[in-house]
Amino acid sequence: MRGFASCCFGAVALGAVLATTLAVSPGRAADTKPMPEDARVYIIWPADGQVIQGGKFWVRMGLSGAGIAPAGVEKQYTGHHHLIIDADLPPLDEEIPNDRNHLHFGRGQTEARLELPPGKHTLQMLLGDDNHVPHKPPLYSKKITITVVP
Amino acid sequence: MSTGGKAMRAGQMGLLAIVLAGLSAGVVRAQGPAPQTPVPPTPPAAAPAAAPVAAPAETRKRTPAPADAYVYIGWPNDGEVIRSTKFKVWFGTRNFGVAPAGTNVPNTGHHHLLIDTGLPGLDDPIPNDRNHLHFGLGQTETVLELPPGTHTLQLLMADGDHVPHDPPLMSRKITIYVRPGG
Repeated sequence: MRGFASCCFGAVALGAVLATTLAVSPGRAADTKPMPEDARVYIIWPADGQVIQGGKFWVRMGLSGAGIAPAGVEKQYTGHHHLIIDADLPPLDEEIPNDRNHLHFGRGQTEARLELPPGKHTLQMLLGDDNHVPHKPPLYSKKITITVVP
Repeated sequence: MSTGGKAMRAGQMGLLAIVLAGLSAGVVRAQGPAPQTPVPPTPPAAAPAAAPVAAPAETRKRTPAPADAYVYIGWPNDGEVIRSTKFKVWFGTRNFGVAPAGTNVPNTGHHHLLIDTGLPGLDDPIPNDRNHLHFGLGQTETVLELPPGTHTLQLLMADGDHVPHDPPLMSRKITIYVRPGG
């Protein structure tokens, strides 16, 4: 894991965009799509309790037992990542909000470039289907806490 | 990033070779029939003979990828000694997205893991066999089971039709040492 960390810090920011903003139509009750029971999402990096200097870093998003598909692509056992920052899980039977605390990765990204101010922050992943609605069962990671130091 | 650069150069060279092949084929055809018959029907007469030669040169257009996109093997590391014949490999993708096979969303593709083999032809669909694993559901990791010994791993991204992008997105080819146990 140390290798990942140094690699991550070594990566130069390329005017990275936090997340692709996708137009989400206002909340509508949607059908919940199935996911295998053993599928899970998890944050590969950073680790829970990680102290990050400078506040700019890449989050690596892991998924096992399922696949990634961009928003709008409907295929069984796939979804796209959402990263929840400094917020709790949203309702799991609706579209995931799209704002500063809920980043959407609707182009099928598996890494997110973040820039956070100094202090403690929480990160949690939540997979959404082609319509940005969590699956059944919902796939979300452990909520981790990181500390950004100047 | 150097890996991406190398990959890009390799891709460009491959394209260049194809272009050159196409050009030389064109030159040969243009010169060939001209001295024989100066009458207009020459091109149709030459066409059937030239067709088999021209076909490989007119390869399909590869799906473009941005220059800053790259893929890498997140784990294991190059040179890793793995004390188990069963282990997880995770696929890193940066500045690019993952999509299942059969979809054609720009700047996306799906992973292929090359095991104990060199790169396949970059203008054709990636073979599907024990040495070329396809992750057409859009998976971003896998669990491998390999016999003890030295093995190589390399990731190669491909489009909805399993053809690598232009420039091709491939990881460094790493060597791992699998030990019995675990």
